[in-house]
Amino acid sequence: MTGSPKRYLLLTGAALLAVLPLGAAAQVDLTLWHMEQPPHRVERVQILLDEFNASHPEITVSQEPQNWGEIYAKAPAALAAGVGPDMLFAIPDFTPILLGIGALTSVEDFVTELDAEHNFNPSAVEAYSYDEGVWAVPLYNMSMNLWYRPSVLSAAGIDVPQTWDEWKAAAETLTGDGMYGMGLPANQQLYTDQTIYSVMANGGASEIYNADGTLNFDNPHTVEAYSFYNDMLAFSPPDAASWTWGEAEACFAANSCAMVMQFSVISTYDTQAEGNAEDLGVVAIPSRDGDTSNTIAYTNAVMLLSQDEERMEASKTFVRWLLEPENYGRFLNMEPGLFMPVTADGAEAESFWSDPMVDKYRSQIETVIENSQNGMLFGFTSGRVFPAISAISAQNVLAETLQSIAIRGEDVATAVTDGQARMQDLTE
Amino acid sequence: MKIPKHILPFAFIGPAMLFLAAMLLWPLAQAIILSLQSVRSVGTTGDWVGLSNYREVLIDPVFWGSAWLSLIWVLANAVLQTLLALVAALALNQSFPGVRIARTWIVLTWIVPTVVVVMIWRWLFSTSGGIVNPLLMLSGVTDAPVGFFANPTIAFATLVFINSWRWFPFITLMMLAGLTRIPRDLYEAASIDGAGPWKRFSRITWPLLAPTLGVLLVIGTLLSFNVFDIIWLLTAGGPADSTRTLPVLIYETAFKSYRMSEAAAVAVLATVFLMGFALLATRWLARPPEAR
Repeated sequence: MTGSPKRYLLLTGAALLAVLPLGAAAQVDLTLWHMEQPPHRVERVQILLDEFNASHPEITVSQEPQNWGEIYAKAPAALAAGVGPDMLFAIPDFTPILLGIGALTSVEDFVTELDAEHNFNPSAVEAYSYDEGVWAVPLYNMSMNLWYRPSVLSAAGIDVPQTWDEWKAAAETLTGDGMYGMGLPANQQLYTDQTIYSVMANGGASEIYNADGTLNFDNPHTVEAYSFYNDMLAFSPPDAASWTWGEAEACFAANSCAMVMQFSVISTYDTQAEGNAEDLGVVAIPSRDGDTSNTIAYTNAVMLLSQDEERMEASKTFVRWLLEPENYGRFLNMEPGLFMPVTADGAEAESFWSDPMVDKYRSQIETVIENSQNGMLFGFTSGRVFPAISAISAQNVLAETLQSIAIRGEDVATAVTDGQARMQDLTE
Repeated sequence: MKIPKHILPFAFIGPAMLFLAAMLLWPLAQAIILSLQSVRSVGTTGDWVGLSNYREVLIDPVFWGSAWLSLIWVLANAVLQTLLALVAALALNQSFPGVRIARTWIVLTWIVPTVVVVMIWRWLFSTSGGIVNPLLMLSGVTDAPVGFFANPTIAFATLVFINSWRWFPFITLMMLAGLTRIPRDLYEAASIDGAGPWKRFSRITWPLLAPTLGVLLVIGTLLSFNVFDIIWLLTAGGPADSTRTLPVLIYETAFKSYRMSEAAAVAVLATVFLMGFALLATRWLARPPEAR
C-alpha cells in the first residue's frame, strides 16, 4: 500500500464522519405488546407501525402479540425480569396488578394533553383514574351486544327480544333441527365473565361493590341473573362450558347458533358466513323487564412502562401519532365493528368511516356505538373504581360461580354466596 | 500430566454434573427458598414464613383433589398408552409391505407441535362443525351432540385420550426396539413345539419385553405427571376444576391467584414425590428379574 500516514488518517476520518454523522439522535427501539392476536389485526398493526417507523426514523416500534389468557401472568414476570415491553395494552382491571408491583407511573399530564387535542370520552379516562394517578392512555372501546339473523327470527315468527322472558322464549323456539337458540359460554374464562355480567347489569346486579368498598355480589338480583343465565344454557350447544369468544363466533357463522352475545361478529360473518349486511341484526342485551339496555363495556388502553425518560418520550410520540384522526380510524378498523373510538375527533374521522367493511355494516356499527353509551364494567361502576377487582377478574370468579351452578349443579343462591366468599378471600 | 485413575471418572462426569446442578439444583433451591416466604406476585418480595405455606397447602382440600386427579391422570395414561403402544409395536414388528413407511408414519403424531394437536382435536370434537359428533350420532352411539370438554368426566377422559394419542408413538418406538432384540429363533422353536400365538406372546414376548416396559413405566409416569400444555390449552383445568392436575394448580396458584410462594410449596411437594418415585423405581429396575 502506498501513501503517507497523514493522508491515510484524513481518509479514515472522512469515512468515519460520513458513517457516523455528528449530533445524530440515538435510535430508540420500542416494543409494543398487545393482545390482538388474529392475523388480520396483527397485519393492520404492522402496517401502521411501518408507517410510523418510516415517518419517525429515530424511533422503531415493533409489535409482539400476546394472549389475554396469559398476559396477567406473563407481564409481571417479564417486567420483574427486566424484559418487559415499553407499551402494553390493557383493560381497566389489569392496571392495578402492574401498579401493585411498581411498574406503572402516572400518565395524567400526557392524557390531559391528548384530551385537549382529541377530547376523550370522560368514562374512558375514569376507568384508569384512581390512587391519585391516571395509569393508561385510553385507545378504544368495546361493548357486548346481542347478534342475530333477522331472517332466522322472522322465519320462526319471533320479534327481537327485549325482556328476559321474550329472550328465553325466543331461544327455546329457535332450538331444534341442528340449531341452538342462544350461544352462551359457561367456561371459567374472561368471555363468560363478560356475558354473565352483561346479564347481571340488565337485572339490577351491576354493582359488585357497595359505595364503602364492601362486596355486594351476594344479593337477590345476582341470584336471579345467574338463575336466568343457567336456564338459557339449556338452549346453548353442549360444549359451551369450554367456549371462548372464537367458538361463539364460529357457531353463529355456521348458523348453528341463532343468537350470540359478542362484542362483534361482523368480521367473521362477512368472511366466513353469508356476509349479507341486510341479514345481520344487532341489539342491546335484553333486560329483565325491558327497561334497561346495559352491557359490559371495556375501554382498552395502553400502559407506558418505560422507566427510561427517552424511551418514555418515544412511546408518547407513538401514542400521539396513533390518536391522530388520519391514523386512528385505521387502527380501530383492524377489526371493523369491534373497536369503537374513545375520542371526539376519532368518532368523526374519515379514516374510520371510510373503511369498506365499516361502510357496508354502518347501521350495525352505529347501533354498537349507541349501545356502548350504556356500557359498564364490574368494579368500575357509578364513577367509583375498586382496584381489588383485579384479583376477582384474574380468577374469573363470575364465571367460576356460574360453573358451580351449571356444571356442579349447586343451588344458585348457595353458589352466589360462595362466590362472594371467594371474592372476599381473594381480595384480602 | 497423568490424571490418577480414581479421579478420571469424576473428570468425565464433572462437566455434566455441573451443568445439571446449574440447570436443576439451582432452580430447585430457589423454589424451596420461595416456598418459605410469603411472595405473592412475581417481582415482589415477601417475609420469611417458615413452613406455613406447606401447612396451608397440606390442609387444603384443593391440593389433595388435584393430587388425586394427577394420580388418576398418570394411571389412566399409563394404561392407555401402554395398550396402544403394545398393539402398534407388535403390528410394526411384523414383516409386511410398507412396514418401513408405517414405522416412520407413526412418529408423526409425536412430532406434531402441541398447539397443532390441540387445534386439531378441539376442532374435531366441536359441536359446531366437528366430525366426531356427527359420526357418533350417525352410528347410533349417541342421539345428541356431546360436549367433550364441557362435562367433567368426559373432559378428563378426552384429555387422557388426546395425551395418549400424542405420546404412544414414543412408547411404541421404545417397545419396538425391545421387540427387535428378542431372537427370532425362540419363536421358531416355540412354533415347532406347538405353541400358539398367545403362548408365544405370554411366554416369550412379554417376559423379554418386561425390562423395557419397566423403564417406560418410570419415564411415562414422570412425563405424564408433568403434562401441562395439553390440559391448559384444552380445558385450563375445567370444567369446574375437573382436570386441574397438580401442574395446572401450581400455575393457577402462582399466576392467577398471585400466591407465588404457595405455588412453590406445591411444586416442591410434587418434586419430592416424583423424586421418591423415580428413586424407588430405578432401584426396583436395577434388581435382577427374579428378585423383582
